[in-house]
This record gives sequence, C-alpha cells and structure tokens, in this order.
Amino acid sequence: MTEDLSFEEARKELERIVAQLESGEASLENAVALWERGEGLYRLCLGKLDSAQGKIEELGARARAAKAPQS
Amino acid sequence: MKVEPLVYGDRKVYSVSGFNRGVSSWLERLPTVWIEGEVTELRRQEGWQSIFFTLKDTGDGACLPVSMARARFDALRLELMDGMTVHVFGRPELYESRGTFRLRALTIEALGLGAILAGIERLKRALAAEGLFAPERKRPLPLFPRRIALLTGNEAAAKRDFLTAVAARFPAANVLVAETYVQGPQASAAIVSALTALAQEPDVDVLVLTRGGGSFEDLLPFSDERVVRAVAACTVPVVTAVGHEQDTPLCDLAADARASTPTAAARLVVPDERELRERLDRLHLALEREAQRVFERARERILADGERLGRAPALLLERKRGALDTSAGRLRALSPRATLARGYAIVRASGGIVREAASLAPGKRVDVELAEGAFGARVEDLAP
Repeated sequence: MTEDLSFEEARKELERIVAQLESGEASLENAVALWERGEGLYRLCLGKLDSAQGKIEELGARARAAKAPQS
Repeated sequence: MKVEPLVYGDRKVYSVSGFNRGVSSWLERLPTVWIEGEVTELRRQEGWQSIFFTLKDTGDGACLPVSMARARFDALRLELMDGMTVHVFGRPELYESRGTFRLRALTIEALGLGAILAGIERLKRALAAEGLFAPERKRPLPLFPRRIALLTGNEAAAKRDFLTAVAARFPAANVLVAETYVQGPQASAAIVSALTALAQEPDVDVLVLTRGGGSFEDLLPFSDERVVRAVAACTVPVVTAVGHEQDTPLCDLAADARASTPTAAARLVVPDERELRERLDRLHLALEREAQRVFERARERILADGERLGRAPALLLERKRGALDTSAGRLRALSPRATLARGYAIVRASGGIVREAASLAPGKRVDVELAEGAFGARVEDLAP
C-alpha cells in the first residue's frame, strides 16, 4: 500500500497523520490505524534515505557511446 | 562609364557585359548603409582575395550574399563565426562577370553593447507580455528529486561546485550531467537541444542550467529567445545559475527558480540529508507522542468508567436497603402488634382466630393473646 509512494508523498502523509492526531478528533480505533500507518510511512521514508545510493552519470558519454558503432 | 548600345533601326540593344557594367555603375552610386543580420555559410580560404558569407534576416530568413576584401577583413581581427549577429557597413555591388548581386562589405561589427542591450530589452518586454515570466507559471521544486539533470559548460568550476555541494548535502543524490557549448554562436542551439534531451531522460525531476561567470557577451546565449523559450517550455522544473549574482540573463526570468551560484542551485535542488533525517525523526516522535496521548486519554476514560462501575453494587444495595426500610415501616404499621398494644386481644380456638361467638360453646377452651403474653380460658356463656 505504501510501496509506490515517493519520499515526498510519504512524508506529507505522515505530516497529515500527525496533525490529525494532534487535533484530538481521532477515535481510538482510528488513532490506532493512523499510528500504524504513520509508523509504516516513517519506515518507508527512512528506508528510502538509507537505500539511496548517489550516482553521477554523463549524458554526453552515453550519447557518444550509443553513436560510436555507426561512426 | 557610359555604355553605348547597338542600334537596330529604332531599337537600342545592350550587350550582356554592357548591361552589367551599366547596372553596376548605377548601383555604385547608391549610398553606403548599415545592415543587421546573422552570419551563415562563412567561406574563406588561404588563396582567395575575398571572404564570403551570407547575411540572414533573423526575422523572416531573407538572405543577402556578402563579400569583403581579404586584407580589409583580416585587419578587423574579428572572430567571425556562423550564427553571429553582426552589423555590416557596405554598398550593393554587381559581380559583373556573373551578373550576381551582393553586398560589398567595407566593415563588419559584432553587435555593440548598446544594440545588444536594446535587443534584449525588446525581447524581455515581448516575452513578459506573453506571460512567460509570470509568477503563476513557476513550478515548485521537488523536495527529494529521483534524478537531477545538470546542464553545464565544459569549464570545470560550475560543474565541480554544483556536484561538490550536492554530495555534501545529500550524498544519495543521482545526477545526470550533460556538457554543452555555453558561449559563442552555436551555444543557443546546443543548449536548447541538450535541455530537451535531458528533460526526456527517465526519472529526471528537476533540471539545473548553470554556467560560471563570464563577460556580458559570454552570457548572451542565456538571453537568446530560443533558450529562454526552451527553459519556459521544459517539462520539468528548471533552476538557473548563470554567471554572477548581478547578472540576470532572460533565462533566469523564465526559470522556475534562480540561484546566484552553482552551490546555491545545489541547495535548492537537494535537501540537507541531516536536516531531512532530523525532521523525519521529529515527525516520528510527534506521531508517537500524539498517538500515545490519544491512547492515554482513552485509557483514562475507560478507567473512569470502570470506577463508576465498581461503585455501582454498593449504591444499588443502599438503594435496596432504603426501600426495604420503608417497606418494613409499612409492614410494621400493618402488624396486629400495634392493635394489641392499644388493648385488644386475639382469641384463638382449635388453632383458628375466633371471629363469631356462635362458633364457640360453653366450656370450650380458647387461647387469648395479648400485647404482652397470652393465657388459656374456658367459655362461660355466649351472647349473640
């Protein structure tokens, strides 16, 4: 359910959930569901941060490499 | 030179050479003028006495062949290149042996600062009127771009500054770099095609167009109409960091965000990872705290309910006892004991209460109950 969320979407939803809990309007069952969802989103964000690996590529190098066989 | 026609009866006929010479000498009487256009098809070779190029109207593409004496051209020390916009001072000329018309250039000037500035100002007003620089066109930059496209010149500084700043703030960033011409006549077209190609690469969420500081002329491509339009039309948000703080090329106005330096651009396109983690942790803490509070409140409510529930049996008993007392009072009031206390007696015979004298006979044994105590007796006589 949370897998296809981007970091940004997940973080925004987490913010909304916290605000919803803060408002004090959530019922107990609702609060449990919100909390579980929030935990999931937090772990998703953290996972994205932890798993991201920096990479620097050159578009020109690839374009030249692609063209090379024909020339 | 006067050209003499041949005469055939009443018809005057000119030779080709004579006609060309005539037109040529007539054209030479036209005044010299300044003409603005873009240089294309520049041709020059060692042995040639002249250099040639075509001057193209940047508006409708109309063309004018131009030639210039080699010695004169070399004396200008002008780095003339295709794509340059120039002012040519010259006069029209007919190349007599071929009958072709061209402009004989006496001097060529790369567009002066004033003229360039005026052109940029004109373009700026036109594009602003089109709404290309409107604030509502600006798109927000992604917080966490999957991939950052960097379009830069091949000079090392801007690229290095940007990549260093990105790595320091957010080591996990993915950057796709493309190098292109960023100055000179070919730069505009090169920037446009690289920009379009980069934006089409998968996962690119933001594009950074950067170039280090340079002279006013060096930065001109970034005010070129084609480049400005390409920035505005780019499918992903564009951040520009061109030249120094005080430079404001037109592409800055069309960009979604403008940075004063490549380092500042890096700060705009990637979050500070440490700050991001801290923010995330704060959110997580708030989540736990708030959830805890909801649970705590629910628990308190349940406890309060439980306490009320615990007190309930005692309350019930008390209420029952009260009711019992009332009933007891009423019961007491109804009991014959109070009647006996007033002096009445209950007479029983053969176990039953005697209500009629007729049920008795003389000599019959009766038991008499009083308020205090009881006694046995025998019936003496009966009264009806």
